[in-house]
Parts: sequence; C-alpha cells; structure tokens
Amino acid sequence: MARLAAGDAHAVHELYQRHGRALLRFSSAMCRSRQAAEDMVHDTFVALMRERISFDPAQGSVYGYLCGVLRHRVSRHFRQQRRWVALDADDDTSPVHAADSSGPADEISRSEITAAFRRAMLELPLQHREVIALCDLEELPYVTVAGILDCPVGTVRSRLHRARALLTIRLASLELIDLQVEPSMVQRGLT
Amino acid sequence: MNEELAGNRHSHTALLLRQYARDLAQIAPSSDLDARIDALVAAGRQNSPASHGPVRRPRRLLPFAAAAGIAALAIIFGILIGMRLEQSRELAAANSGQTHEPAWPTADLTMWPSDSVSFKIPAEYSAQGTLVAVDPNTRNTSTRYWIDVVVSNDGTFRIQKIVPADPKQKQGAPDGIAPHIQ
Repeated sequence: MARLAAGDAHAVHELYQRHGRALLRFSSAMCRSRQAAEDMVHDTFVALMRERISFDPAQGSVYGYLCGVLRHRVSRHFRQQRRWVALDADDDTSPVHAADSSGPADEISRSEITAAFRRAMLELPLQHREVIALCDLEELPYVTVAGILDCPVGTVRSRLHRARALLTIRLASLELIDLQVEPSMVQRGLT
Repeated sequence: MNEELAGNRHSHTALLLRQYARDLAQIAPSSDLDARIDALVAAGRQNSPASHGPVRRPRRLLPFAAAAGIAALAIIFGILIGMRLEQSRELAAANSGQTHEPAWPTADLTMWPSDSVSFKIPAEYSAQGTLVAVDPNTRNTSTRYWIDVVVSNDGTFRIQKIVPADPKQKQGAPDGIAPHIQ
C-alpha cells in the first residue's frame, strides 16, 4: 500500500493477485450478476489508483481496507441502480460453477438449492447482506468487520443477528428450511 | 463458521450458508477482469504521478454549490417580492386614507333642510314650447299645469312635481300661489 501511495502502479497488480479473488467473492455475494461483481472489483482498483489512499496499518489489514473500498463502490452501485433498474433485471442467480463429485441428479438439485439460497440472500437489505457476507461467508472477525463497516462491534453483532433471522425467514418462505424446529429465533428476529 | 453461528442459528441455514460459501470460494476472476486490471496497471505506468499533478478532487462540491446558489437567488427574490408587497401595501393604505373621507355628512344631516316652503305655480306652454308661469286669473290659452316648487331657507329650491291642472279644483289656489309650511 505504501508503494501504491508512492505511485507504483505495479503494486496494484500485486494487490490484485493477492486479494482479487477474495474481493470478487465478496462482490459476488453482494451483486446480482457476475459482470456487476467484476465491475465492482475493477472499480475498486481504479479508485485505488486515482484517489487518495488513507490506509492505516494500525486500523486494520489491507484486505479489510480493500473490502471497505469495495463496499462503498457496491453501495453506490445499488443507489444508482435503484433509481431505474427493476429488481429482477440483470439477475444471475448462478454465478458459481459448482464442481462437486455428486451424481447428475444431485448436482441439479444442489444447484437449484444454491440458486434459491442466493436469491434469498440478494433479497436481504444491503446492510444485512454485507454483514452476512463478511461474517458468515468470509468468516472475518467482528473487529475487522466493524472496521470495514465503520461501526461499533456491538452494531455488527446486532445487525448480524437480525440479518440471520431475516435470512432464515426468507429461506423458510422458499421452503428451503423448516422453521418449526426453532420458532423462537424468528420471534427474536422480528422484534 | 463462528461458534455463535453454529449454536444459535437454524442448522439448515448454517448448512446452506456453508454450501454457499463453498460455491463462492470456487469463483475465480475471469480473463476479462484480468485483462482490465492489466490495462489499468499499464495505463498507470504510462501516466506517472508526476504527470498527473495534484489528485483531482471529485466534483462532489458542484451540486452543493449549485444548491447554495439557487437558495441565495431564492432568498434575494423573496426579499425583493417582500419589499414590493410592502410598498404596494403602503400605497394602498395611503390611497384608502384619501378616499375614505365621506363625501357627504353621514350623521343626522339630510339632503334637504327641514325648513322649506312649497308653492304651487300655474304654468302653460308658451309658443317656444317652454313652460312659463301665468296669471291664474287669466283664461286658459292651452293646457294649464301646476308646478310644485319647494324653496328651502338656505336658498335652494327644487321642482317637486308638475301635474295638469283640473279646472274644477282651481278654487284651492285663488291667487296662484298657495304657500304650505312643511
């Protein structure tokens, strides 16, 4: 990052080699289409080259900083899209090419479940989607997520709790899970 | 997965999240993205920071400046309109002060004074077509009329009515002038 701040363009390439895949993972969990996810990652690195870098190693890791930049890009992208694009437009619910060693029938069933799960994820509000993507999918510590989201750790915890409850309700409505097993969680999420 | 996640959440949700995370982990940047990043790096090498000059600030201040300008214009127009309204109101008040003075006395003064005298004057049409007073003792040469005239004590007079004279009631005014005090 210091090299990048000094104007070394090759540092961008190194950052991309090191963190590009993880950033694309986070971006794919947030965006509706693979193309939009790659655009967000590209915009992140464009921003790194053109805007002033305010990275402080004492406040977090490089990956956390890059996630923060990417998150701002994604938020801005959705603010712009919300004005004129329908929710179902540009929807790509199968960005992942699964490669499990199951049989063909299992593969189809699994891809359908994954697509339905992804649809449920994308229907979550942005702030809930990002906290699930960072905490549950990327498995980042709460402190790191708090740094990325620029909020206290307690906010991350409460937001994550509510996001999980909302996701569970949505999955139940899609009949992917059975809520009868644990109804108290839904009640906690709704209050 | 976090311990809290495993212990507190629906197990099926956790299972689906793990499965989704595994699927996401298989995502790799496309060759198109690689090429775009390479092009970005190449462009960054060609345009060194020295040739860039100072980092250009994003034009975020432009909308705020425009909004502030519009607000200032609105305030100026508001002040001007307010001044104009105030001036017109003062003018209207001045005009109304002049016109509100009563043209006629509004108290118990009437149009005509109460002390007045009425006369009945005999008259006939002359050869010129005008009504002229005649001697009541003379014989009628044409249709005779009685003109009721009211003379007030302030010097004004008015013709109250003109009626054709009836020869049978002529004795009520022997001298042609019958004053009645009103």
